[in-house]
Amino acid sequence: MMTEATTLSAYVKEPLVFTQENYFSQDELFEQVTQKATNLGWVREDFLERIKKREATFPTGIQLVHYGAAIPHTDAECVQEEFVAIVTLQDPVVFQSMEDSNQEVKAQIIFVLGLNQPHAQLEMLQSLMGLLQNESLLAELLLATTSSELIEIIKQNNL
Amino acid sequence: MKKVRVLVACGAGIATSTVVMKKVEDLFARNDIPVEINQIKISEAASKQDGADMLISTTMLPTEYKIPAIKAMAFLTGIGTEKVENEIIEAAKSIQ
Repeated sequence: MMTEATTLSAYVKEPLVFTQENYFSQDELFEQVTQKATNLGWVREDFLERIKKREATFPTGIQLVHYGAAIPHTDAECVQEEFVAIVTLQDPVVFQSMEDSNQEVKAQIIFVLGLNQPHAQLEMLQSLMGLLQNESLLAELLLATTSSELIEIIKQNNL
Repeated sequence: MKKVRVLVACGAGIATSTVVMKKVEDLFARNDIPVEINQIKISEAASKQDGADMLISTTMLPTEYKIPAIKAMAFLTGIGTEKVENEIIEAAKSIQ
């Protein structure tokens, strides 16, 4: 089914925004996001296993100038309703770099991409990459203490 | 000028390659080089390299390829974009 949603803010949905969390590991973070998404009926039950496996094989850590980020995602078929989950952390969780799995990225902000239409979300992905390249805006997002505050920042910046 | 056949790959062939594909399209257009871009999963690269001139990837390269393979994470982070763009154009010119 085609969606008219194009920008990032259309994909960021309140139940899947987690601010200033503390997780010991990637796995714990993935479990938390997947549990919420499963309860909402947005992902299939194999999402958790697949996203962990995908991250282990093709890591998604992105080292920016001042921050570390990650954009974990997995195969389209296990996503029923598209979303971009945002998790900000008090203490970073280690991800491996997308470009070189021997490099660690201490990720403070994680965007879990639940996408099921391979070519349809260019505009959203470009606004996400634009956000990753705007470190003052990332800093603002990291300071948000509630999910509604974080979503408001995204909307105000027309993302 | 000969059309350059480019594979753009990421791990799942769904997110980062979509962004990079657009950047590569624009880059070739700016340089007036005809291009045919195919978006793939990196796992398909080995079997598809015979029909291509160049591989551009946002993810690590799990093996060696016969065609030039360029890592293009710079398109996502904005860090070192110019260097990667030059690499791609060089590679495109060398196959002419």
